[in-house]
Amino acid sequence: MSTPTGFDELIHPATRLSVVALLATTEWADFAFIRDSLSLSDSALSKQLHTLEEAGYLEIHKEGGGRKRRTKVRLTDRGRTAFEGHVAALRAIVEGAGSTAVLTGVAERRQDHAEAGP
Amino acid sequence: MSTPVNAEQAWNDLQRIRVPQERVYDEVERRASGAPGVAYAAAALMWVFLAGLGLGPPRWVVLLALAAYVALLSVLTVRYASRSPMQLHHSRYNRRMSVTLVAGVVMTGATAWLSGRLAESLEPVLAGLVQATVSAAVFLLFIGPASRWAAQSLRGHGEQVAR
Repeated sequence: MSTPTGFDELIHPATRLSVVALLATTEWADFAFIRDSLSLSDSALSKQLHTLEEAGYLEIHKEGGGRKRRTKVRLTDRGRTAFEGHVAALRAIVEGAGSTAVLTGVAERRQDHAEAGP
Repeated sequence: MSTPVNAEQAWNDLQRIRVPQERVYDEVERRASGAPGVAYAAAALMWVFLAGLGLGPPRWVVLLALAAYVALLSVLTVRYASRSPMQLHHSRYNRRMSVTLVAGVVMTGATAWLSGRLAESLEPVLAGLVQATVSAAVFLLFIGPASRWAAQSLRGHGEQVAR
């Protein structure tokens, strides 16, 4: 089985996928808003943002100074295209396997977890 | 090259994408229902402008007041927007947002015109006060429910865009 076109290894890790998914819904978002929405620490989010910034997937702007300092994060066109391609690739994988079979598998696994329980 | 994720992982990733996007719509809805200060400020500006017109000022004063009213309204809008922790992507807005905006302008304008006509028989200053008060009250009654109604529709529209 080959990798579907558009699958992006950089976006694929869970935290980065969540960051990019959030930014894809916005024109820009505050650092604090992203951090709180995803329940991340400052350092964990900074690390992911810089990785994505180096790849040209997002832009980081710092505004103001002192207590009014804000960091705004914006997905670039390249980042948006990469995200859309990645989502399309994920859908292609699911559809390739047959979504009913995937859902059945997910449901069975959840049931197993529930039965194993705490 | 082999597929880096299997179908179940891909399915879980697709579900994971929805969670942060829901947070964005939560924030949009929270702001639509939780910013009465801006609505009161806009209504107060409208009241002052319309009540001022009731004094029957000369044409140049009316134009000056109109320019000041629009400028203050713009400042209010910009300040409100700048305090937001994020801005929704333009592709996520739907027709209902535009309809709500146009309906708000039409309703407020129609109320100001109609209340002005109904109060014509009164003394000009009193007529201006009646017109200003009725228009500001209708604006306040309309803006809250209309904003919430429009904001709530964005979540469903966003899911359609994401598909």
